Formats: sequence, structure tokens, C-alpha cells
Amino acid sequence: MTTTLTAAIPPEARWSALRRHIPYLIVYGLILALGIYGTLNSDRFLTDRNLLNIFRQSVFIGTAAIGQTLVILSGGIDLSVGSMVKVSVLVSALLMNGQPENIGVAVVATLGLGVVVGAAHAFLITRLKVAPFIVTLGTYSILRGIAYTISTTPIGRAAPPVVQFYDLKVGPVYALIVAFFVLLVVLMFVLRRTRFGRYIYAVGGNEQVARLSGIPVNRVKYGVYILCSVLAALTGLFALSRSGVGDPNIGDGLELETISAVVIGGTSLFGGRGGLIGTLGGVLLLGLIGNLLVVLNVNQWLRDLIEGAIIVIAVALYKQKGRQ
Amino acid sequence: MTEPTEDIILEMRNISKSFAGVHALRDVSFRCRRGTVHALVGENGAGKSTLMKILAGAYVADSGEIVYKGRHYDRLTTREALDSGIAIIYQELNLLPYMTVAENIFLGREPRTSLGLLDSKRMNAEAASLLNRLGVNLNVRRLVGELTVARQQMVEIARALSQQVDMIVMDEPSAILAGHELEILFSIIESLVAQNVTVVYISHRLDEVFQIADEVTVLKDGRVVGTKPLEALTRSQLIQMMVGRPLDEVFPKSRGHRGETALVAQHLTTDAINDVSLRLHSGEIVGVAGMVGSGRTELARALFGADSLRSGSLTIRGERRRVSSPNAAVRLGMALVPEDRKTQGLFMELPIRDNITVTILDRITRGAMLQRRLEAEAVQKARGELAIVMASDRQEVQDLSGGNQQKVVLAKWLATAPTVVILDEPTRGIDVGAKFEIYQLMRALTDRGVAILMISSELPEILGMSDRILVMHDGAIAGELSREEATEEKIIHLATTGRGLAEASETQTGQAID
Repeated sequence: MTTTLTAAIPPEARWSALRRHIPYLIVYGLILALGIYGTLNSDRFLTDRNLLNIFRQSVFIGTAAIGQTLVILSGGIDLSVGSMVKVSVLVSALLMNGQPENIGVAVVATLGLGVVVGAAHAFLITRLKVAPFIVTLGTYSILRGIAYTISTTPIGRAAPPVVQFYDLKVGPVYALIVAFFVLLVVLMFVLRRTRFGRYIYAVGGNEQVARLSGIPVNRVKYGVYILCSVLAALTGLFALSRSGVGDPNIGDGLELETISAVVIGGTSLFGGRGGLIGTLGGVLLLGLIGNLLVVLNVNQWLRDLIEGAIIVIAVALYKQKGRQ
Repeated sequence: MTEPTEDIILEMRNISKSFAGVHALRDVSFRCRRGTVHALVGENGAGKSTLMKILAGAYVADSGEIVYKGRHYDRLTTREALDSGIAIIYQELNLLPYMTVAENIFLGREPRTSLGLLDSKRMNAEAASLLNRLGVNLNVRRLVGELTVARQQMVEIARALSQQVDMIVMDEPSAILAGHELEILFSIIESLVAQNVTVVYISHRLDEVFQIADEVTVLKDGRVVGTKPLEALTRSQLIQMMVGRPLDEVFPKSRGHRGETALVAQHLTTDAINDVSLRLHSGEIVGVAGMVGSGRTELARALFGADSLRSGSLTIRGERRRVSSPNAAVRLGMALVPEDRKTQGLFMELPIRDNITVTILDRITRGAMLQRRLEAEAVQKARGELAIVMASDRQEVQDLSGGNQQKVVLAKWLATAPTVVILDEPTRGIDVGAKFEIYQLMRALTDRGVAILMISSELPEILGMSDRILVMHDGAIAGELSREEATEEKIIHLATTGRGLAEASETQTGQAID
């Protein structure tokens, strides 16, 4: 253009890049600090066995939290995650019934159930315009009801290879951990380097702008809700490999655990801001706290208290970012 | 410039303020006289808002002092500013939509009965008398959310007046108003001045400044360029002060080569518009004038598939099309620059890069992967074409000035190489310099064969840029005027009455389609 006018670059500009990373610094800083504290106060903490255990236990919340992150980034929320895990454990255990030849059917059916539930969420949210909180609060209860209708006591049985998978090692680490990190990396790639990923941030950033930009908003929502429920179903399969039986008590409170991990990881509950690196930090931090309490022989109930305090303090800190 | 001191209600002396090392204000001195209208003008990023936020106590100056009504302050707190009678009306109104007019006016200071209960009778009566004082006729029991923006603004002003007020700062009050509403605002300002209230009027629109203000202070790049009484200034002198160089205040000439038909809309009807037909040719700019609420924006939304059609049809480049969503419209080569860039045009918290390329992600994807190199090229191209001032393309859009934000919206659409561009208030709330850049860009686009539909509330812009003008009234097109025959008078007449002036009646068709 011929008339080029220079406006002063606003002072807030410099914060722009930095403030996105502040939550990561805080979360991973805390992990490091707690790690050092654990190492200094217990010789049981810094052992291969213990560290691998922390990671392995984190896979359950972690897998479900990946899906929750996508949903929250898109401006929604999924309160049904825990109930979905619960139903998945029961369905897969019943279908498998201890027989290796049933594994394929059980896995496909369980993940397929995730697709159906996720698609139902998206349908209710996009067509009937019911708020995600309400829709998934409803399915939280419905799925829970279905699970306890199926059984209130352990039922069905995992096939032996599924049980063995829990302790299977690839080199020095558990296959479960490897599987989780592969998932994590793939979805990080999806978020950062694909059109779908950008659309998730766009829809969460401002749905109206997204629509007016020609983004197929409804399809994006189908994508995130289906992924979230499928990942919850997968969490159920992982959980079955740990428990060996269809225990209906699995999955209790997991929806809030995943939301905690996402929020501690710096992802905005309003959507459009955050990502999986933060969520990984949140998941590991929660796992580490639980582990430290065991290793240091502290009252287990403190975990909830500490977790709550971290959520409130962390989010309060993030809110201060870049303010004058 | 020494004035008798008793005349000066406010003096801000040698105010400096910087954020993270960048100077927003340098040694700014500003003073205004009691009972006058003092305009504060300057480009976006010039420091107007920062200066007023220091006055309101929202920011603390790094150095300098404020003398208000004879008292010296190093800093004003928000409370002190309020208590000493300074009120600020921000562009974004701070009202509660589900409360009544009276409840909003007295929010936080509700009159009580002797028992400590709400005295709504007194509240309503006092609210009514306040609005009366402003010459506004408004039912104080109505919910604010049901009112037009212009009326909401009056409620906001009335709220300011419900306390003892000596000074009202209005931050671009006209940005949300249409022509006739502006006159009401001006009469309110006049009645305020008559009551010896001082008004600081921040605006981009020079017409208004000349019409309403007594004095003007021009800020540029955080410094004061000068303070002058308006009778001593001409329009072009004021523009020169603002942009630092003389500018021909002429709209770029239309080359007038209208190409083939790009889009035909027939009998479009939605919830808000009624039987609208129009035709756009490539290479022309069709202006859409009309009052706020006449269905202009809704016409744009209907064409773009954002509002669903009850009936009517669209033909694009000779083919009849169903445009059921903006997604479909984009794929047919359409673009919509919406009227409110903050809520409809931009992802304010996302980087500039993501905002620009969001419309063309499929074109920069190979396999499943976004190609960083192609993306960087697209951003680089947009940046050059539009002269967007930015530190980096990772900067969040919310950190840009209004003019640069608008350029990002344009960039995001130009990247799609559209054939039909709908612009809804393309220069709202941006400074003079950026305005001219956008006008030139529009001409450059039509030279390339793009068809433009431009909705605007600014008549000079409509008259200066349009090849043809459609005037809307009450959800329908009231008439079409050619560039030659159009005058402000004819447009206003059509827009307000829905009928042409007597002498224009033979040219008024009521139908834009031949």
C-alpha cells in the first residue's frame, strides 16, 4: 500500500509469547521440586521401580485427560469420562469373558461404544443446542446407571494376554507407558500440525468467529467428543488389564481428575488456550503427589487436599500472567 | 497559552507511562476548561485511552501529576476519580441486560426505605427525572437488554449523572451509533455543557469533532502534537496534525469498469429482511446505506449463509447455489468482514498467524500435515500487502491496534482470493491513516475483478467509495442510487422514510434487479 503508517507496537506485545509458557514453567517446576524433595526424604523414591510405577499409574488418568484436553480446548467439557471408563471396563470384561479369541471383538465393541457415546454428545450439543456441561452431566449419570444395572459386583474376566499386557515391558519401560506416549505425541501432532487441530483452538477461541470464518464447527465438535469418549473407552481397556475383572467401581471421580489435570496444565476452561504438554504436566504432578504420600507414609487423604490447593493456587497464578 | 486558572477544571502535567519498557505516553500535558467539550484525537495506539485510564485511576502514571479542581494528585485511585466527579463512558457498555433501566442506573447505590428495603418507587422516579434531564424519553422499567445500543448508551450516561459529576469522558461514543442517534447524543452533550459539565470526547470521526467540540488535543505516538481551539483549524490541518503529514482527503477514484455478474440474489427473506433482491458485478463496489437496524447486517449474513433463508435464491457466477452455511459461502469464493471484529472477526487470544491462515488451512496442508513454510509465505504475503504493523506473527491479535486488527481480518479473507467480498463497516473505529489504506485496498481489489458489497454508516464513505448505492429501510431495499445522482440528502431521506425525495422519485426503483 502507498500510505504506510506506523502505529506504536502496544506494550503488551512482548508478553504475548511468554505468557503462554508460564503455566508450563510452574507445573514442571513443581514436579522437579517435589522430585528433589522426594529424593532427599526417602531412599524408596528415586528407584527405577518407583518411577516406572508413577508413570504407569498416570497412564489411566493421562489417556482420559488427553481427550478431556481436546474437548476443553474446543470450549466444551465432558463430565461423562469416568462413567464411560466404568461402562467400558464392564462391557469389555463381559465380552472377553477370559477367552483370548474374544479380545478383538471386545476391543472393537468397547471403542465402538465410545464412538457412539461421543457422537451422541456432539449431536445433542450441536443440533439441540444443549450446553456441553448439561449434556455430559446427563450421560455421566446415564452411563453410571447402566454400569450399576449391569452389575454392582465384579463381573466378567480379562483374557490372559490382556492381563499380561499390564506388566509387559518394551526394553526397560512398560508397554502401557509407551502406548500412552505414542498417543500423546500423535495427538500433540494433530493439535499443532493439522487443520483439525487449528480448528479446535479456533472453535474454542470464539465459536462465532469460527463459524463466520467458514470453519465446519459442528464437525469439529463431533471430532473432539468422539475422540474423548473413545479415549475414555481405551482407558477402560487399560484399566481392565490392570484389574483383570470388570470391577464397576473403576472410573469413580475420573472426570474430575482429568479436568484437574487439564486445568493444572494451564488450559483455559473457556477454551482456545492451552495444550497437551500442560496436561501431561498436570497428570504427572497428580501422580507424583499420590506417590510421594505413599513413599513418605503420609495420610492418603491428604492427596485430595493437596490436589485442591494446587488447582486453586495454580490457576490463580496463571491469571496473573502478564498483568501490570 | 495561558488561560485564567479558575477556568481550568483538569490539568494533567508531564504524564509519562510505559509498559514493559515501551513508552505509551511521554511527557504528555493535557488541560481542559470547565463547561466545554474537549476532543481528544489521534490514531490507535497514540495513547488516548492510556491517558484517560490514568485519569480514571485504572493505570498509575510513572511520572507527572494531575491537578483536578485545584487539588494536586500524584495518582488518582478509581474511588477518588469517581468521588470527585469524573465519569467515563467506555465504548463497551457496562450494563446488566436482565435488569431494568432504573436498576442499572442505580446499581450499587439503590435507594432504600427506612427499613432498609429497596425503594423501587423512588428509584424509578429518580431514574425518570435523570433521563428527562437528558431529554430522553424512556420507560425506566424496561429491561436494558431490550434497548438499542444507542439507548443503552443513554442509560450509561444517565448512570454517570446519577452521581455528582463534573467531568464525563466519552470513549468513542459514536462508534456504535447511527446518524440520527448521533444527533441525540449531541443534544445530550449540549445539555451537559449547559449544566457546566466538562466533556472529553474521544473520536476518530472528524466531522463530529468539528461539530461538537470547542477545543481539540491531538496525540501521536504517545506525545501531544498540540491543543487548539477548533475555530482556528481546518479539516486538513487537523488531519495533518494526526498523521504527521498532509493527506489528500480524497477517496481513490473508481476506474468504473464493471465486469460480468458475480452474484445475483433474488427475493431473499429471513427473520430480519424481507424480499431483498440485488445484483453484484465483478469490479464494482456497491454501497449499502441505512439506519442501524434497517437490516443491512442481516442482509450480509443472509448472503453469507450465516442466517438461514426463509425463501429466495442465490446465483453465483451464473450457477444457482444453496448457501446453507458460511462454510459453503467460503467455498464459493465469498468473504465477509463483519461489523464487530472483536466478537465476529478475530480470535483475539490467538496469534496473528493463526488468524490469517484459518480460512486457508486446506490450501497449506499436504497429506495430513500443515506446511509451516507455505503458512509462513501466506502470512508474509498478507503482511506485505496490507502493511500490518506487528512485532511477530506469533503476537496475539488482542495486542494490536484497531487499525491493525482490521487489517488482519482483511488479510484472512484476502488469503482466500475471494470473488465476492462483503464488508460490514470496514473502517469502524480505526484511524484516518488505516482508513485510507483500506479504501485503496478496496479499489485494488475491484481492479482485480472482485465484487464488493460495502455496508457503512458513514455517508462520506458510502458516497466516496460506491459505484452504486442501495438504501435499506425496515428490512427491505428502499431504493437504489447511482454514483452520480446520490447525495447525502437523498440517502437520508430514503433511509428514514423508505421513500425517495420527490425529485428523485423517477429514479427510485424499489428493486435493484433489472
